[in-house]
Amino acid sequence: MEEVDKILIHALKQVGTEVSEETGSVRQFSSELIVEAVVRCVRVIDPGLGGALPTSLPPGMSARFRVGMSLAQACQDIGYKGEIGYQTFLYSNEPEIRSLLMFLVEKLPRESAEASDQPQGKSAVLQRAIAAAIRAQLSVPWLPPNCRLPLHSQTQSPGALHSFHVQPLSLAHCSPGKKPLKEVKDYHRDILPPVTAQPSHHASVVASILEQHTAELSAAQEWDSEWNSQGLLSRLKPQEYRSRKLTRLRKRIEEQLRSAALPSPESASGGPRPTGDLSELLQAFRGSAPSDHTLTKGSHFTHTQKFTFTKTEPSTSIPFVHQSDSDVQLRQQEEQLSLQEQQLCSEVDQLTADMKHMTVTHAQVLDELKQRELGNSEKEEKMQVKKKTIDLLPDSDDNLQKLKALVEASAKRVVHLASQWEKHRAPLIDEHRRLKEICSRQDLESSQKLSEIKSVHDKIRVSTEEAKKKEETYKQLVTELENLPQDASRSAYTQRILEIVSNIKKQKEEITKILSDTKDLQKEINSLTGKLDRTFAVTDELVFKDAKKDESVRKSYKYLAALHENCNQLIQTIEYTGTILREIRDLEEQIETENGSKTVANLERILSDYKAIRQENSALAAKVREG
Amino acid sequence: MVVLLSRLPATECIKFCHRVVDGLCGREPPRRSEHSTTWSPEEWLQLLDSLSAFYRRAVGSDSSEEEVLGGLADVGSSHAEAVLSVLRARREEIHHALLDRTNSISSATLQDFDWQLKLSLSSDKISSLHTPLLSLSLDVREDAALRSVTMEMNREELNTLISSLEAANKVVLQLK
Repeated sequence: MEEVDKILIHALKQVGTEVSEETGSVRQFSSELIVEAVVRCVRVIDPGLGGALPTSLPPGMSARFRVGMSLAQACQDIGYKGEIGYQTFLYSNEPEIRSLLMFLVEKLPRESAEASDQPQGKSAVLQRAIAAAIRAQLSVPWLPPNCRLPLHSQTQSPGALHSFHVQPLSLAHCSPGKKPLKEVKDYHRDILPPVTAQPSHHASVVASILEQHTAELSAAQEWDSEWNSQGLLSRLKPQEYRSRKLTRLRKRIEEQLRSAALPSPESASGGPRPTGDLSELLQAFRGSAPSDHTLTKGSHFTHTQKFTFTKTEPSTSIPFVHQSDSDVQLRQQEEQLSLQEQQLCSEVDQLTADMKHMTVTHAQVLDELKQRELGNSEKEEKMQVKKKTIDLLPDSDDNLQKLKALVEASAKRVVHLASQWEKHRAPLIDEHRRLKEICSRQDLESSQKLSEIKSVHDKIRVSTEEAKKKEETYKQLVTELENLPQDASRSAYTQRILEIVSNIKKQKEEITKILSDTKDLQKEINSLTGKLDRTFAVTDELVFKDAKKDESVRKSYKYLAALHENCNQLIQTIEYTGTILREIRDLEEQIETENGSKTVANLERILSDYKAIRQENSALAAKVREG
Repeated sequence: MVVLLSRLPATECIKFCHRVVDGLCGREPPRRSEHSTTWSPEEWLQLLDSLSAFYRRAVGSDSSEEEVLGGLADVGSSHAEAVLSVLRARREEIHHALLDRTNSISSATLQDFDWQLKLSLSSDKISSLHTPLLSLSLDVREDAALRSVTMEMNREELNTLISSLEAANKVVLQLK
């Protein structure tokens, strides 16, 4: 019963009844508490019906009686089938109250419980957290700046928030491959300040460190993904792959830059010479870029610029000397000078154009020269062959014979060599085929392994994603669990129910055992009585036969009959005592239940209440008479 | 103008050169107030410029140590050695800084960015809004001047921004 009472009290507390901590069971409920609990339950179940009922008992006896009557009526309206009246509330009876409260608690609406059972989304959790945080902040009173504790500074002073500014840091890395230089080690040990002292503002330390780490991490991840997707397929070592990519990128950039640079006038004046390398092109760019950031290095363009400026400088310094003369002279001189400058500029332009032209013609002439030289050498060879044949002409027959013999010998040699080559060739071809086969097999294997590696990578990625997702849901569920009300745990209820069910099963088994025992006993009794009857009949017959002849036997027959009758009487009395014992037990139980319902106390209370009502009545009558 | 360096003792010289390289790599450069007695303001500017230009040139053109020493012929040998040791120690860092500068070749480059996510719970018209807003501030370097660009976006605007950035990233990836 204690479990039931606990559940009941918990439910009543949720409804709003103020049950003190000490009351652990329904037995300890006072009349006031019962009335309050019932009224609150009725109000929740049916607000229209319960609205008119007061939650506390009035002092007057007759008013109390009326409240009890209306409460009983309300309970019956809700659908309570058991016996109920004013006495249920005023003169409480534990089992009756318990059944009434159980009925009311079961009738309570379940919506709130169902709502809390449903899984809540992430956003709901977040919003609830935000609401809680804002509520907490609003509950903290505003304080003037001087009185703020660190607790308040987080929410009340806006100056504590730093923006995220990053500065480059220098960290001592230990690359595993090569040993660092002695100077590098010295620098790291003696001069490099610790990371916290490196940024100029203390606030950007954390930001800088975070930024550096994310940069390194993302670079590593990018390299990883690229290596897994493309690098593995290329079947190169990482270094080779990198160097190949570097050359490819260089080529691309070079192409882009050249295509962008050619049409621009800057590079045209600087001389569009054929640049063979990216670095040369970059050098050219470095020269032409006007910004003060980039390094200035010599190129055609800057040289020409310098050239013109240095040339004009001495002439511009002259007019400064004659500053005291008239302005007209100055202006004339200026004009002259500008004319001169223009002339010089045009001359320079012309000269550069000429130079271009010259270089082009020079290259052309060089090419022609090379071609001529080649033609010369060819002609010389031809001439030597012809010279030899002319030498051999005079002794033609002999020489012809010699030539034929030579040709034959060389033909023989060729045949011999061909056979030898064939001999050598066959095993070589076999070897070649064999190696080819091995090669193709290895190719196949490696591609298989590659695909395996790829699939493994995919699996790894998928499983990490899954793990992350599951972890997130786990966290969410944990937060939800923490937010759920902790009391009246469900598991305790189910455990209790399971216990009760198992108890009932055990009891059922025992009952069936006892039933079978009683059946066995009855069977035994039946068989014994049957046996007794038969033996009695047989003996009766035998003795009766003999009794006609013998006097003593007749006496024994009489005894037998008497014995039988006495025994029957005995059995009957035993049965009677059994029924009487059962009745006694029933009566005792009845007495106990009557004792449990506090009849005497209730009677006394009823008597006192009756007296109180009579007094009230007489007082009222006196008032009426006076009135 | 590196000759001016010989006014410092050799041990100080190493530290000073490291500070100069720090300034080159984007950290705090040496302050003039610390050396106001050693150099006049003009000399100070000249020295800083020439030293940083020297380091840039040495790393940028990947010159050998003999060439570097040749460039330092007019400085005392101990000082030249100090400058060289600093160069050896910081070659990687200077290299990285130069690469960064080359990367930010365009007229306006993104220097830094910061974001804050705000959840507006309600407005003056609507009691329950629950709209997340992202305020993004970009520090853009434009002709050596830092300009801050701040904007606030709701979810759709942020999505368009992200998709356009992703498209840009795709173009960059195609270049690789």
